[in-house]
Amino acid sequence: KDSAVKYQMAEKLYTEGKAEEDKSKLRKALRLFEQIIPEFRGKPQGQRVVFLLADTYFLLGDYFLSPFEFERFNQLYPDSDKAEEAKFKEAASYYYRSPRFNLDQTDTDKAIEELQTYLNTYPEGENAELANTMATELRIKLEKKAYEIAKQYHHTEYYKAAIAAFNNFLADYPGSPFREAAYYYRAESAYLLAINSVPYLMETRLNEAKELYSTYNKYYPEGEYSAQTADYSADIDTRLQNF
Amino acid sequence: QGLPLGDSKKYVIGDIKVTGTTTYSEKIVVGFTKLKEGDEIYIPGDKLSKVIKDLWDTGLFSDINFYITNVEGNVADLELEIKEVPVLNQARITGVKKKTETEDLIDENNLKPGVKVTENLITTTKNYIESKYSKEGYFNASANIDVRPFTDTTGVKNRVNMIVNVDKGDRVKIDEIKFTGNEQFPDAKLRRNMKKTKQKNPIRFWKRSKYVENEFENDKLSIIEKYKESGFRDARITSDTLIIKNAEEIALELTIEEGSQYVIGEIDYLGNTVYTDDQLNRVLGLKKGDIYNGVLIDERIQGRDPSKQSVSNIYQNNGYLFSNIDLVETNVYNDTIDFEIRIVEGKEAYFDEIFVTGNDKTKDHVIYRELLTKPGQKYSQEAVVGTIRELGRLGYFDAEQLEPEFIDPNPQTGTLSLEYPVVEAGASQIELQGGYGGGGFIGTLGLSFNNFSVQGLFDKDAYDPIPMGDGQTLSLRAQASTYYQTYSLSFREPWLGGKRPVSFSTSFSYTRQFLFDYINRRADKTRSFDILGVSIGLAKRLQEPDQFMTISNQIGFQRYDLNNYNTGLFTFGDGFSNNLYYQFGISRDNTRINPIFPTGGSLFNITAKFTPPYSLWNGIDYGNLENNPDYQLKDDNGNLVDYNGNRVSPENSVPDTEKVDQKKYNWLEFYKIKFAGTWYTTLANFGPSKDLVLKTSAEYGFLGAYNSERGIPPFERFYVGGDGLGQYSLDGRETIQLRGYENQSIIPLDRPSNARDDGATIYNKYSMELRFPITLKQAASIYMLTFAEAGASYDNFRDYNPFQVNRSAGAGLRIFMPTFGLLGIDFGYGFDPVVGQQGPSGWQTHFIIGQQF
Repeated sequence: KDSAVKYQMAEKLYTEGKAEEDKSKLRKALRLFEQIIPEFRGKPQGQRVVFLLADTYFLLGDYFLSPFEFERFNQLYPDSDKAEEAKFKEAASYYYRSPRFNLDQTDTDKAIEELQTYLNTYPEGENAELANTMATELRIKLEKKAYEIAKQYHHTEYYKAAIAAFNNFLADYPGSPFREAAYYYRAESAYLLAINSVPYLMETRLNEAKELYSTYNKYYPEGEYSAQTADYSADIDTRLQNF
Repeated sequence: QGLPLGDSKKYVIGDIKVTGTTTYSEKIVVGFTKLKEGDEIYIPGDKLSKVIKDLWDTGLFSDINFYITNVEGNVADLELEIKEVPVLNQARITGVKKKTETEDLIDENNLKPGVKVTENLITTTKNYIESKYSKEGYFNASANIDVRPFTDTTGVKNRVNMIVNVDKGDRVKIDEIKFTGNEQFPDAKLRRNMKKTKQKNPIRFWKRSKYVENEFENDKLSIIEKYKESGFRDARITSDTLIIKNAEEIALELTIEEGSQYVIGEIDYLGNTVYTDDQLNRVLGLKKGDIYNGVLIDERIQGRDPSKQSVSNIYQNNGYLFSNIDLVETNVYNDTIDFEIRIVEGKEAYFDEIFVTGNDKTKDHVIYRELLTKPGQKYSQEAVVGTIRELGRLGYFDAEQLEPEFIDPNPQTGTLSLEYPVVEAGASQIELQGGYGGGGFIGTLGLSFNNFSVQGLFDKDAYDPIPMGDGQTLSLRAQASTYYQTYSLSFREPWLGGKRPVSFSTSFSYTRQFLFDYINRRADKTRSFDILGVSIGLAKRLQEPDQFMTISNQIGFQRYDLNNYNTGLFTFGDGFSNNLYYQFGISRDNTRINPIFPTGGSLFNITAKFTPPYSLWNGIDYGNLENNPDYQLKDDNGNLVDYNGNRVSPENSVPDTEKVDQKKYNWLEFYKIKFAGTWYTTLANFGPSKDLVLKTSAEYGFLGAYNSERGIPPFERFYVGGDGLGQYSLDGRETIQLRGYENQSIIPLDRPSNARDDGATIYNKYSMELRFPITLKQAASIYMLTFAEAGASYDNFRDYNPFQVNRSAGAGLRIFMPTFGLLGIDFGYGFDPVVGQQGPSGWQTHFIIGQQF
């Protein structure tokens, strides 16, 4: 029958397109899959067609449609042996959608959530390691976003806002690679806030800054910013002698 | 087997047969009855009654009968005769014009295909429609429902079409509105307060005197409101009667009980620790003995409109998000009301985290630097409102969709987080034009990227399709025709270095123009005129005296190069002229909120443009140049000649104007001062995004010379009149819009008629424009306007007369689409004659392209 021919054709185009990374073949396959899918619904081959359609979207880089198709596949055929792959690719679609750190991170949050769901369902899964790497990368992206926003308050000399933002950052992201810099710039914000204060606030603020520098020292005694920390701490001590 | 009824008999059911119209199979219907062969039942009996009732309750059948067809011993064969309720195939509504109205009626009555058409459905639909229209003032509305069987080719039986014939009839008009019991306000005043319910009046033709129940209810409330504003806080409408006079007219009678007028007694504050009673009293602005205006009191206490003063606002603007203010009347005596303002101040609230979401193009740092709310800062309603204004002004986001969200406001810890969800709007504009004009084809390509990213140029992933999101502006423009080409490029970074809003801008432009030979209709490529311009500017937003002020500095250079180019535009055909200038500007812009359609605020600009005063030190006696033999007319052999080419003695020599002017204008020397002020005022509001706005503006410009002998150059001048679109400007000229007149037609009145038209050195202009939006949607903003304006230009201050102006008035339309920028058309009528013309300037049509005002 017509649809059987189309199905064979589509699968051939899909296999070739996938192997040769030929997008035009994949696009043709996609059009055929879309045409035949209503006829195969509820039939034994349906499972395969639904998966291949989703995978074609995925291979074509249409990460806005692929996650929905994979999700549908997993809803229709939860017991399929492709379920794991589908779940992973659904999550991976969001991963690929995640934009650069300084844009809206809704997709990143969704990707982390989906990757986590995958890892919880298939802790020993084929793609578990990759999923872990992806999730870590995305978490670091979120950390970078929060860190850069805090750092911008420091750069634009809104020191109070910088301190508050770094505090939030340090509370929200334990184990982030940006922690050291966050500790340091928090202290530096406090220092710059203190020395630009009116005299009657200066002493308390200098002490607060000193406290934050020593916090940095406590965690990173041999840190990247140790030299500056030593300099600024010494400067604070000199200034404090005036009070 | 149930209970027997009367003289019933017990039977065992034999066969059950189903007859009658049905689309269901016999088995299913029997299934509905829950009876089966072999059951014992009494006939008649309650079991059978229940079966009938159950079947009836399914709503699928309109007639149900059981018959005993055959009895053998105690075995009875039953026949169930049913008539199935027909199923709706399609409902059609006639007599209603609008498609949406038809759809509403179908939805509201659930007349979807597949619905069972019961008597009940028909009756309720009829009643619903009639009462619906009667509420809208169609008292004579009637609905007739015609049910017709429908058979289609598939042969599915028992389907019907419903034809609902609506006859709305005429809307009834209000012949008269009568009031009784009103002593304080005359009938007419109360009628005026009824905004939508009006009695018939032959001279008021634009608002019909129709009766709409909902509007009438609202108008009754506004009468009460009117009383309350004047201290009659017990006023109420004790009865309202609708009298149907005839098929088309009704009368309304309202009885009002006014009660007495109350005044304010003691005002006490309770619970205020942050502000003293005195401070709060000043905000409240009401005192003992004032008329008790409940509406005003509420506004002054609870009002959250950020532009008005209220007790609530001073708390909200100073961190007290969780404050709660209640008004309690404590005592009422002799028409005097004492009240107490009970304040629960709550904990001061601080911002914890500030989020921005939805920015899928614009980078975080571009947005965060504009936010007036920072983490750790005290909550302020003003700052939140201000932030929305700033974000709207960027032009990268849909200003109509900016709405901050409060996250986890916690009265215990005194913290809250804020989220600004933004919706990116197209910030790029493309201009692509081709046209026939000035003797040849003119093509223009203009690209303007308002949210550009230079950094993204070097990142291949950022091309989508062009790098965006750093808030920079890049404009490229190329225009070419057979006889001229012009290229320009400008770039602006609004936050140079990212620390402070210091905007850096630079531009480059190059124009090459060939003399057009009108006889041969082609450009003469040997004779040309080149202009090269570069400029660099820095502008800074100030914090003092307020954050709306900007100062700007610009240094620019322009070189005009003429190569055998004699057109009268310049007195010399070969030579050059350089314009090196410094420009300083101060502007204040607090227009809000939507940059395309500001509804409030004002915009001021003062700019001063200077060139170095070369004549102070270069020692050239410009006044005496014509007496210098070097600048006198000579023939090819170096002999002095007069204008006719005859040799003359040195006493009779004449100056060579080309040489003199070349010397005068080799480096331009001038200063130019301009002022412009624009005010936006919302006159009336007709709902969200429906503000009637008045734009008022005044402009002045003055161009002067340091050295009167060197004189004011023919460059940089003001050309008043017309659409104000700067064509390709050859000589730094400024075209000033004055609608109702032809482009650049307004020349100084006192100028001798034979003088060269090289623009004016002084101009002024006043303009008033009323604007009303049709839509302010993301895809396109459209508004209408009417204007009245006046302007004039002068050659010097002796002639300056701010009242001797050319006046005009007219109307127009503006359409702003993010990709195309602003498009508009204006029809203006000029009331005054232009120089050299009799009678008024008359009607002029102006097309406005890309002007952002």
